[in-house]
This record gives sequence, C-alpha cells and structure tokens, in this order.
Amino acid sequence: MTEDDDQAAVAALLASTPPPDVPADFVARVNARIDATEGWLGVADFRLWTLRLAPAAVVLALITVLWPGTSTGTTTTSVSTAAADTFRPAAQDDWQQEVSSDALLVAALTGAGHAR
Amino acid sequence: MDPDRALVEAAAGGSRDAFDELVRRHQSAVITLARVLTSGKGDAEDLAQDVFVRAWRSIGSFRGDSTFRTWLHRVAINVIRTSQSRQGRLLRMFTARGRDEGTVPDPASGEEPVDAALARRQVIDRALAALPEELRVAVTLRDLQGLEYKEIAVLLDVPIGTVESRIFRARQKLKPLLQEIDDRR
Repeated sequence: MTEDDDQAAVAALLASTPPPDVPADFVARVNARIDATEGWLGVADFRLWTLRLAPAAVVLALITVLWPGTSTGTTTTSVSTAAADTFRPAAQDDWQQEVSSDALLVAALTGAGHAR
Repeated sequence: MDPDRALVEAAAGGSRDAFDELVRRHQSAVITLARVLTSGKGDAEDLAQDVFVRAWRSIGSFRGDSTFRTWLHRVAINVIRTSQSRQGRLLRMFTARGRDEGTVPDPASGEEPVDAALARRQVIDRALAALPEELRVAVTLRDLQGLEYKEIAVLLDVPIGTVESRIFRARQKLKPLLQEIDDRR
C-alpha cells in the first residue's frame, strides 16, 4: 500500500464516521438559551439603548439650536470671561526668571507666592 | 453560491424560524466539532448550544465574505477554545495537576459499545484524541466536516501549505490507531 493509499483510506474512514445522535429538542434548547440571554443582554446592550434614545437626543439638539436667546456665541463669551476672571497668569518676567530647584522646593514647602 | 444565504439573510433580519432551520442543518457538524475538539472531555451538546447562541447574536455582522458554514465553524472554534481555556484555568486552580489532562481515553475503560456504528465512532474519537490539537483540528475540518483546504486555511488563519501538511501528518498518525476498525471489517 502506498502512502497515498494510506492517506485515502484514513480519509475515507473518517468520512464514514457515524453522525452524532442529536437530541430531538436540540433546537428548542438553543431557542430557550437565546431567549434567556436576550432577556439579560437586552438591558445591558448599549447599542439598543443608543438607538432608543436617538429620537430624544435629536429633540434635545433641536431645542438647543432653535430656542430663542440661545446661541453658541453667548455661551462661548460667558465661558471665556469666567475663565479670564479666575485664571491670571503670572507676569512675563516671572516665566523668564532663573529659579533653582532648591528655591522651588522651599517655595512649595512654605507656600510662598514667588520662588525666586 | 452559499446554500444557506437566503436563510442567513432572513435570520439576520430577525427571523427565528430561519435561524432554527440553520441550526437543524448544522447541528450535527457543530456537535461533532465540539466532541472532537474537547476530546470527549466536555459536554459537546452544551458547547454546541453556546455556539449557536453566539452565532445568533453575531449573525448581523456576517458579511458573506465566506459561506455561512465556514463562518459558523470559526464561531464554533472560538467558543470551544475559549471554554477549554476557561476550564483549563479552573482545573489548574483546583487541582495540583489535571489528572485527565493530556491523556488518551483508555480503550478498555470505555462503555461496552451498543452497536458497530457506535463502536466505530468511539475508536475514531479515541484516535483523534491522541493527536496534537493542531493536527486534530485540521483533519477534523477536512475529513469529518468536509471543508475545503482553502476554507480551512482561512478559518485557521494559516497558509494552505500548512493545512495540507497538518492533514497529511494527522492521517499518518491516525493510520495505525484506526487499524482496529480495519481489522473488524
């Protein structure tokens, strides 16, 4: 018997393997499992929630854009004004001063306003 | 042309009847694959059900680049391997050494075969269980499931030459192990 014959014989034997005994209720059990997982996963599935919330998101977006007296320009101005009030950068000179690491450490520990 | 195409499209659209028909068409193949890949150590039917549940959840992402059968086999291999690695971790956690791990079922310890067909299947199962996994998977997909070499290469993500080599070596190793069946004929 040649190698090819051996290969063909094994292949034929394997191909003749009797099929497994499939329980009659296999499909029903698959369906029951699908139903069970969909019950839980449906709640947790963010894609479903995203789709369901899409109309509400569109309505909110329209209200934001069309509501009288609301505009992105106003918002930007007020935000930038607020930011300007709270954030006051140090003078240009301060950024250019040579500061030693020791001085910085002392300033940090003592809470001094300027480390020079 | 994929013979399952119409059913797949209907199932992707939400038809459970169409999906039921797909399950009926492929249940034997998936159970066989589960049985062989787990070497009879897992509950093949249970794993096959997991495979179909995963297939149902993912069928919307099936683009038809391959046949449904090939795609389903990929899903099955992923599900079965994931389950095996999870079980392997649990086994290592609770036992110093998995007593059954890596051992071939003892022919003498098996149940008495009910009929010749069952006896033949048991011999084939034992022979396949004795193979390294990469050879077992390749020869199962080819000779038991009837997939083409090209399909197997895509499924396992290896070159077609590798698939041919694995199947060749698997059959070489199986030849003496299946002698028992030849002797009975």
